[in-house]
Amino acid sequence: MSQASYLLLAVLLLPLIGAVLVMFVPEGERDLARGIGLGVTILTFLVSLAILGPFDGRISGFQMVFDKEWIPGLGAHFKIGVDGISIWLVLLTTFLTPIVLLSAHRAIEDKVREFVAAMLVLEVAMVGTFLALDLFLFYVSWELMLIPMYLLIGIWGGQRRVYASIKFVIYTMVGSLLMLATIFYVYSKYSGVTGEFTTDLEKLDDLVLPQTAQIWCFAAFALAFAIKVPLFPLHTWLPDAHVEAPTAGSVVLAGVLLKFGIYGFLRFAMPLFPYGAAAAAPVIGIIAVAGIVYGALVAFVQDDVKKLVAYSSVSHLGFCMLGLVALTPQAIEGAIFGMLSHGLTTGGLFLAIGVLYERRHTRRMADFGGVWAPMPVFGALFLICVLGSAGLPGTSGFIGEFLTIIGTFIAGPDTFPQGWATFLPIPKILAAGAATGVILGAVYLLYMFQKVMFGPIRDEKNRHLPDVSPREIAVFVPIVLGIFLMGIFPRPFLKMTEPAVERFIREFKAKLSEPDAAPHLAGKPPPGDTPVPAANPGAAPTENGAAPTAPGATAPTAPGATAPAPGTPAPAPGAAPAPPPAPAPPVAPAPGGSAQPAPAPAAAPTPGAPPPEPSPASGAPGGQP
Amino acid sequence: MNVANALNPSDLLYMAPLTVLALWAMFVIVAESFAGGGRRAWLMPLTVAGCAGAALASIAIFRSLAPGQSVSMFGGMLIADRSSMFLSALLCAGTGFTALITPQHQVEYQWESGESYGMLLLAVSGMVIMAMAGDLVATFLGIETMSLAVYVLTALRRGSRRATEGAMKYFLMGAFATAFLLYGIALIYGATGTTDLTLIAERLRTGGQDPLVVIGTVLLIIAFGFKVAAVPFHMWAPDAYEGAATPVTGYMAAVVKTAAFAGALRVFTLGLGGDFLPLGSMGWGGIFAVLAALTMTVGNLGALRQENVKRMLAYSSVSHAGVLLVGLVALGVQPAGTGHSAILYYLAAYSVTTLGAFTALVWIGSREQERVLVDDWAGLGSRHPGQALAMTVFMLSLGGIPPTSGFFGKFVVFQAAMQAPDNQLLWLVVVGVLNSALSIFYYLRLVMAMYFREPIGEFRPLRAGALTFALVACALLVLQMGIMPGFWLGLTGG
Repeated sequence: MSQASYLLLAVLLLPLIGAVLVMFVPEGERDLARGIGLGVTILTFLVSLAILGPFDGRISGFQMVFDKEWIPGLGAHFKIGVDGISIWLVLLTTFLTPIVLLSAHRAIEDKVREFVAAMLVLEVAMVGTFLALDLFLFYVSWELMLIPMYLLIGIWGGQRRVYASIKFVIYTMVGSLLMLATIFYVYSKYSGVTGEFTTDLEKLDDLVLPQTAQIWCFAAFALAFAIKVPLFPLHTWLPDAHVEAPTAGSVVLAGVLLKFGIYGFLRFAMPLFPYGAAAAAPVIGIIAVAGIVYGALVAFVQDDVKKLVAYSSVSHLGFCMLGLVALTPQAIEGAIFGMLSHGLTTGGLFLAIGVLYERRHTRRMADFGGVWAPMPVFGALFLICVLGSAGLPGTSGFIGEFLTIIGTFIAGPDTFPQGWATFLPIPKILAAGAATGVILGAVYLLYMFQKVMFGPIRDEKNRHLPDVSPREIAVFVPIVLGIFLMGIFPRPFLKMTEPAVERFIREFKAKLSEPDAAPHLAGKPPPGDTPVPAANPGAAPTENGAAPTAPGATAPTAPGATAPAPGTPAPAPGAAPAPPPAPAPPVAPAPGGSAQPAPAPAAAPTPGAPPPEPSPASGAPGGQP
Repeated sequence: MNVANALNPSDLLYMAPLTVLALWAMFVIVAESFAGGGRRAWLMPLTVAGCAGAALASIAIFRSLAPGQSVSMFGGMLIADRSSMFLSALLCAGTGFTALITPQHQVEYQWESGESYGMLLLAVSGMVIMAMAGDLVATFLGIETMSLAVYVLTALRRGSRRATEGAMKYFLMGAFATAFLLYGIALIYGATGTTDLTLIAERLRTGGQDPLVVIGTVLLIIAFGFKVAAVPFHMWAPDAYEGAATPVTGYMAAVVKTAAFAGALRVFTLGLGGDFLPLGSMGWGGIFAVLAALTMTVGNLGALRQENVKRMLAYSSVSHAGVLLVGLVALGVQPAGTGHSAILYYLAAYSVTTLGAFTALVWIGSREQERVLVDDWAGLGSRHPGQALAMTVFMLSLGGIPPTSGFFGKFVVFQAAMQAPDNQLLWLVVVGVLNSALSIFYYLRLVMAMYFREPIGEFRPLRAGALTFALVACALLVLQMGIMPGFWLGLTGG
C-alpha cells in the first residue's frame, strides 16, 4: 500500500466524518449545517483532485490500492483502488456533491441538518461503490446508496413522493438481491476451484464459469444494473423518482446514480461473465437503441420540463449502454465519456429547472415563455447546458455520442459473436439508429428551450422574474466550465481511460476464448479438458480482433485532434500520435457514417468557441491516412 | 449410561449458568412473595443481575473450552461446547434485557406482577437446558420448562381479553406440539433403544433406515415447526404476539425463538444428522427446505397487509424463522459448511434487532394511546429524531439492508446455503432474496410514516432511562455487528 492509497481512503472518510459532525449541529443552526456540508464536500473534492497527482495514466490496472482484511471468516476485504475509468467517476461524484449542496441552499428549508447528513452519507456510498475492488464491499456500498436516496426523495420530494420513493427502492432491491444470490454463487464456485474463500474482485475475475452458468449469472447482474441505468423497458421508476425528488436529489440521481448501472456492467458483469455478456450483447444493443429512440420520443411529448429531462436521461444512457456492448475501444471510451458528460449536462439541466421552479413553482412548459427577457444570464447558462446535452461540437456531449456511434459503426463481427442475424450488418444498423437519437435529442431539447425561454411572455408573472443570484451563478459556473473543458480538451480524459479500456477488452476477449468447461481459473483449464482456445464461434480473439481494433486505436484521437483546433491548437498534434498501438492506417469505413451523427441543429454557434464545421471535423479520421 | 458414574464434580462447574438461573429464579419468586405488596421496583435489578451472572458464567465456560471441544455431563444429558455456551449467553442477555424494559410497561399499563420476573428466570433456565441438551429427554424438559413459564407470561396481563385469548391459543397449540414431540421421541427411542443424541446418531449410521425413525423425525420436525412458528404451524403466533404485553411479545419473538432453534440445532445436527430420510439426498433437509420457503413467503405476505406494528413484527418474525430454517437446511445438507456459524450469527443479530424494535414499541406508547398502528408512528422523525433513527436502524436490519447486522446475517445464511453440493439450494436462496425484497416494503412503511408524514397529536412516550439505554445499546450493537462482523464470526466459529 503506497501512501497515495490513503488519499483514496481520505476521499471516502471525509464525508463520513462530516456526516457525523453535522448530526451534532443544534436543531436551529441551518447555516452551520450547510456550511459544514459545503466545506467538507469541497475539501473532499480537493482531496480527490489530488488523486490525479500520483495517478499514472499509462498503467492499465488498479492503482493506489488500499487493502485491509475486513471479515476474516468470509474472506471479505476492505479493498479500494482506482483505474482510468473509476477515477473520473469518483471525480464527477465529488465535483457534483458540493454543487448540489450549494444549489439546495434555498430550496431545502426543512430539516436542513438531516438533508446535509443524507447527502454526505450518499457521497460516501457513491464513492465507495466506485472505488470498491471487493464484491462484498461493493454490495454494501451499493445498497447503502439506497437509504439516503430514499430519504431524499421521500422527505424533501414533491406531491407523490411516497409512491416514487418506494417504487425506487423496490425496483432497485429486486435487482440487487438477485445479484447478491449470484455473488454467493461465484463465491462458492471460486472456493470450490481454489479452496480459498474470497470476495476480491481481481481474484474472482480469473474464474471462468461454464457457459450456461455465465448466462444465468450475467442475467442476474444485468437485471440489477439495467434497472439502475435504466435500460428500456425497466426505466419506469426513473421519471417518477426524478419528478418527485427535490432538485438536489434529481441532480445526484441523474448525475451519479445512473452511472452505477453502466459502471456495474463495465466493472463487474462483463468481466466476470464474458460469455454471458457476449451472448446478450445483440439483445442489449437493440434494447439500448430502442431506449435511445423511445426516450427521445417520449421526452418530446412531455409538458413537464423535469420529466422531459428525465426521459432524455433514458435516451442518453442508451448511448452509453450501446457503446459498452459494441466492445470497440472508441465505443467504450465514448460510453465512459458520455457518462461524465451526461453527469454535467443533465445535472446542469436539473439545476436550471430548479431555478425556474423556485421562482414560479411550476414546471409546465406552458406556464413559461419569453423568460430570456427578464433572465438573460440564466438563459445563457441554461442554453449551454441544453446545447451540451444535445451534443453540439465543442461541448462535452458531442465527444461521447460521436465516439460511441463511430465505435459501434466499425464494430466487427466479433462484437456480437453470438448474433443471430449474421447476414445483417447489425453494428451499422445500431449506429444508424443511435444517430437518429442524436437528431431527436437536439429537436426536443431545443424545442423545450424555445418554448420556455423565447417567444412572447404569455404569463405576466414571468415578466419580473429575478435573474440568477450570485450563489446560483456560482452553482452553474463549474458545470458550464466543465462542459466546455471536456468538449474542447477531451484528450486528457480519453488518454487516461484508454489503457484501462484496452485492458478491459483484452481480458474480456481472452476470457471469452476459454473453453466451456467446469469452473476453472482463466488460463488453467480443468484436468481432462484439452484447451481449445477458439472453441466457440466468434471468439477468435487475436487474428479476428485485430482488424476491427486497428482503426479503433487511432479513432479516439480523431475528435481530440479536431475539436481543440479552434481553441488552442497546441496540445492536439502533440497528444494525438502518442498512443497509437497499431501503426497500420485505418481502413476507415467511417467517414460516411461518422458525418451523419453530427446533426444539423448542432451547427448553431457555440458561445465560447468559433463553430467547428461538423463535417470536416468528423471526417478527419478518414482524412488522416 | 448408569447413574453411578454419571455424576462427577466438574459437571457442576460446566452447568453453572443453569444452576445460577434456576436457583436465582426460586430466590426471586420466594423473595417476591415474602415482600408483600408495594412497588417491587427492586425485582428488576435483581433479575437483571441474575441473568448477567449466568451470562458471565456462560462466557467464562466459553472461554475455557477450545473450539470443537465438548464436555458431556450427567451421562450425556447435557453437553457443553462453545456453541451452546454462546447461545446460553445470548439467551441470558436477552432475558435480562427483557426484564430491563418490563417495569415501565407494567406501571403504565397496570399489570404489575412480581411473578413475571420469576417466570422470566424459569423460562431462561429451560432455554439453557435446550441449548445444552445432549439427550432428547433433556430437550423435552427444557422445552416444557420454558413453555410453561412463557404461557404464564403471555397471560399475565389479566385485564386484557386479547392477552387471555392469545395465551389460550398459545397454550393449546403448545400442548399439541408437545404431544408431537413426545411421540417423536418415543418412536425414535423405539427404533434405536436410546434417547441419547450421540448414541442415536451412531446407531442410525450403522442401523440403516427404519420407518419408525422416519416417522419419529417427521413428528419432531412438526413439533419444532410449532415452536419456531414455521408455516403451516404458525397460526398461533400473530394472536399470541398481539395479545401479550409488548415486552413479553419481544421476548417471545426474539429469545423464545432463539431457544427453539438452539434445541433444533442440537436435535437435528447432533442426533439425526445424515441422510436416512427417504427424501432424496437431502435427508430431513428436504422437508425443512420446503418449510423454509413457505415460512419466508407466507410470513412476508402476512406482514404486508398489517396495520398493527405488533402483528407486523409477529409475521416478520415468522419470516425470519424461515431464513433461519434455510440455515438449518444448509447445515443438514453440508454439515462441514459454515451453516452452524451462520445460524448462530443470525440468531444473535435477529435477537438484538427484534428486542430493539420491541423496546421502541414499549417506549412510544402510553395508557391513553398505545400507538401500535403504523399511522401512530407518523412524524416521529421530527419530534423524536433519536428514537426514530434507532427504529429506522432496526427496520433496515430486519429488512436486511447494509450496514446492519440483519444484512450480514442473511448474507452468511444464504452463503452457507450456496455451499450445498450441486447448487441444490440455489432455488431456496433465490426465494430467500426475493422475500427480502418483499419484506423491505413493509419495514419501510414504518420508516416512511416516521419521516414522510406529519404527526397526529402529541407523542407521550414513556420516559425512562432504562428504555433509552436499551434503545441506544441495541442500535449501536446492530450497527457494530453489521460493520465489524468479524468479531462475532470468530465467536460463532465461522
